[in-house]
Amino acid sequence: MQTYRRGSSFTDRALFIAVALLAIIWIAPIIWVVGLSFKPNEVLMRTTGGIAAPPFTLKNYTDILASSSVFGWMLNSAIVAIGQTVLTLVIASLAGYGFARTNFLGRNALFVIVLAALAVPEQAIIVPLHTMFAMFDLHNTYVALIVPRVAFPFGVLLMTQYFRAISPEIEEAALLDRASRFKIFWRIVLPLSVPAQVTLGIYTFLHAWNDYFWPLVSATRPEMYTLTIGLASMQTNFAQTEGIGFLMAQAVFAGLPVLILYLFFQRYIVSAVAGGGSK
Amino acid sequence: MMLRRALLPLAVTALATLWTTPAAAQPKTEITFARFFGACESDYGSSQDLAHARGECGVMTTLVNLFNATNTDNIVVKPQIIEWGPYYQQLNARIAAHDIPTIAVMHTAQLGDYTRYVEELEPVFKEAGIDPADFTPNARAGVTVGGKIYAMPWDTHSWLWHFNVGLFKKAGLLDATGQPLVPKTVDEMLAQAKQMKEKTGKPYIIIATSGPGDFANSARGYYSWLYDQGGSIFPNGFEKADFKTPESLNSFRVFEALAKNDYITKGLDGSGGLGGFLNGVGAIYMTGTWRIDDFLAASAKPDSPLAEGYTTRVFPNLFKSQAVWTDNHSWVLPKGGTTPANRKAALIFLKFMWDHNFDWARGGGHLPARQSLMTEYAKLPLRQYVVDIPTFGRALPHDVRRQFGFQNMIGEEIANIINSGKTADQAADAAQERSVALLRGR
Amino acid sequence: MAPTRICLVRTGGQSVAEATQSAAAGIGIPRLANALFVLPYMLILLVMLIIPLGLGIWLAFQDYDMLGGWNGSVGLENFQNLLDDRIFRGTVRNTMLFVLMTTPAFVILGLALALALNDRLRRSAMLRAIFFGSSVLSVTIVTLVWRLVYLPDRGMLANILGTVGLHSIDPVTSETWALPAIAVVTVWWIIGLPMTLFLAALQQIPADLYEAAALDHASRWRTLMSITLPSIRRTIVVVAVVEVILQFQLFGQALLITGGGPNNTSRPMVQFIYEAGFRDLQLGFAAAASQVLFALMLIAALAQAWVGRKREG
Repeated sequence: MQTYRRGSSFTDRALFIAVALLAIIWIAPIIWVVGLSFKPNEVLMRTTGGIAAPPFTLKNYTDILASSSVFGWMLNSAIVAIGQTVLTLVIASLAGYGFARTNFLGRNALFVIVLAALAVPEQAIIVPLHTMFAMFDLHNTYVALIVPRVAFPFGVLLMTQYFRAISPEIEEAALLDRASRFKIFWRIVLPLSVPAQVTLGIYTFLHAWNDYFWPLVSATRPEMYTLTIGLASMQTNFAQTEGIGFLMAQAVFAGLPVLILYLFFQRYIVSAVAGGGSK
Repeated sequence: MMLRRALLPLAVTALATLWTTPAAAQPKTEITFARFFGACESDYGSSQDLAHARGECGVMTTLVNLFNATNTDNIVVKPQIIEWGPYYQQLNARIAAHDIPTIAVMHTAQLGDYTRYVEELEPVFKEAGIDPADFTPNARAGVTVGGKIYAMPWDTHSWLWHFNVGLFKKAGLLDATGQPLVPKTVDEMLAQAKQMKEKTGKPYIIIATSGPGDFANSARGYYSWLYDQGGSIFPNGFEKADFKTPESLNSFRVFEALAKNDYITKGLDGSGGLGGFLNGVGAIYMTGTWRIDDFLAASAKPDSPLAEGYTTRVFPNLFKSQAVWTDNHSWVLPKGGTTPANRKAALIFLKFMWDHNFDWARGGGHLPARQSLMTEYAKLPLRQYVVDIPTFGRALPHDVRRQFGFQNMIGEEIANIINSGKTADQAADAAQERSVALLRGR
Repeated sequence: MAPTRICLVRTGGQSVAEATQSAAAGIGIPRLANALFVLPYMLILLVMLIIPLGLGIWLAFQDYDMLGGWNGSVGLENFQNLLDDRIFRGTVRNTMLFVLMTTPAFVILGLALALALNDRLRRSAMLRAIFFGSSVLSVTIVTLVWRLVYLPDRGMLANILGTVGLHSIDPVTSETWALPAIAVVTVWWIIGLPMTLFLAALQQIPADLYEAAALDHASRWRTLMSITLPSIRRTIVVVAVVEVILQFQLFGQALLITGGGPNNTSRPMVQFIYEAGFRDLQLGFAAAASQVLFALMLIAALAQAWVGRKREG
């Protein structure tokens, strides 16, 4: 075991069984979603039970793929999500380091502002924000879809907190060697923060990918729709009752890329312990 | 010189016609067309076959395909489709950002809120060749605000009782011709409900009261019974609502009586209600005109609980004179959405839609907006029972703003009666109190 | 890779002058140039959040209708109307209750899962993916599926309760159970975030601490209490603050499962704001309500941060 000493194998097994049972509760609705996505909508109008029994169909998926716009929407989503993620990681890491590790006049005051900004609900700013972007004629652009989300302080808070927990000795030594602050940040501190970067990255990506309300009012031309808005626009007015299979297929289709991303990156969260700051 | 000047354009036009393929001809006139109803390219990708188009989405997609392929004025209609739920939020945002579609769909219940943002259409109709004299009374009332017409009506949709005839038979509630007996008073209805429960063990009425948008269901029933009594929630002007008139209380009390005796389903959402009716868990489903074809199709299957028969009637009058809740889809030209260049194109498209109003009614499941189509419409299956709705259907006056707010609030209070045992009087009190906020700053 | 570089640095830095370390956690002498690190973020924050917030606060004192336009300033009237509004007062209560229900669940369950799955076994990777997996679904789908679970008589919950002989309850239409039912959905939906945050924090605990504990034959419980938890206490505070902030903004789940009912027992503040602003077009009134929400969130977050800091000593 990497991180702790394990107790008796009995405790281990009991723990594993408990977590596995919980996992079953967690995955049951997801299996249901996937199952329903392969069922004909007419059947689901009558009943949503019995997902294991035929008939099955691929029509819900082919209906999505038949849309001439769906790959354009996916591309938009990818651009927006990647743009937001990269920008957030860069800016939040810089700011987190600045707040956690450097001194400058007004630092504490600024950090209090950041903390307070964390408490601003989206509803309190969305109308003025929409008006501002309209004033500068920036709606229906990637800038409008990406930049406002970078202002959310969660990333800065997370990175600040993470950098604070890194032992200062390392940097202090480098400081005595007269290395520049940016160089210290870039070459010493940043590599130590991979787990936090990956965590923040995954969640920024996920939120950007699933974001709904802002893209709805900002990207109003179909060629600028994100996948979430585009897929929703395909739903008929009675989709919640007569298009359940189609809705579920949309969910699987839209959710799969993020899940794959998580599967790929999660090893950087946990296995990073091997290269952690404690060696 | 003169001759040359006169001939040159002619020659250019002739050359252009000769040399260019239709696709590369003069630039197309583009109009944007904001709507909900969904997208269904896989089934109707480039179909122009209106006779086989089914469902709102199918008909709408086919209509635009047909227009784009056949219009001789080089017009392209670009649909801007958005989900039903947040449609108006997005439209408001677009108005605020001056990003305005040429033509937009609108419920006439919303029209009162938008009159300063949409064009008055009566002068335009003449130019487009649309005759307002052909509007049904209901459609005319829907699109007219303060004596002026602000939209082209597209349909009427309304509220029905859908019957499981098999359960009515089992309960002994069919007439000599095998049709369900429709109650004429509240007492008759309760007696029927009692008989239904005793003979079949099933609830008399299925209604969805607990999902997104489901609050509208009970509100539409409330309005219908209120209108049957000639009642109004604004008996003394539009500054103040009154939910405690005898008519309003009666309307709440019908739901209370149904709920108290478990004659009505509790806690179902939209899919639970629909699935419930298709599975025969109750005798009558309260939902809209748009479901008739679905239920006909279901009842045609031999293993369906509806196989013994399905029929429908206008939401029954239990009081004075038949009236019922209605709303309409309509088309508006938002101000600033047309340019001198595409204005004519927009009118040509509106006229095209007007000429195809029957296709919408047949495939989309709504009543036509044109009186001249009613005879033909009545020939469609079961439509004989609903065809008169445009003569007695009613809606809130356009002076009432925030009508979706009222609908949701009333529906929520009735859901409280049905699902959590509020009394009719408590619900009326709550609605009274909540109406104050909805009327503020009107 | 990183480790080699760190070793080099460490050999160079035996003694560090206490003086270089200023009041808080910062190290090095104060320099204005250091502010460049935070400048890009502060600019975005100013333009995208602080200025709109200022406009939003102004809006809260106006009679502003989205389609009817501006009808002048009304002073405190919007706030007075909120205070008199029984529905709004209900949403404040519901929102607070919801935060109290979900935040401890997120912290405790998230931490437990992180501790249980913090290893490089393949099965743990799979379980982590399962617990994260639900968060990739949009709120529309999450609520649609859970409405099917909660459906009276025919839903999954009714079936399970039925097989063990319990009376079927219908949480969605129960005044007592509607909000807890939404809380369950919310925890199911986004437990992945706290779990992942805790996992990332656990990576920071130096392995030599555990090795020392192992040499002392410390029990697993003692290791947890005296090494693991103290080492990640800052993350616990961060997760608690973030969850409070997130759960105060409950919206989609409530709107799409109960619509706020029954009897206004599950309508959250954000739904009230949404309905007032975007459905009923009363932008000024909605802005006032969102300022109240902002104030409550600020108080809650600062109180937590303060308690967390105090504990830290």
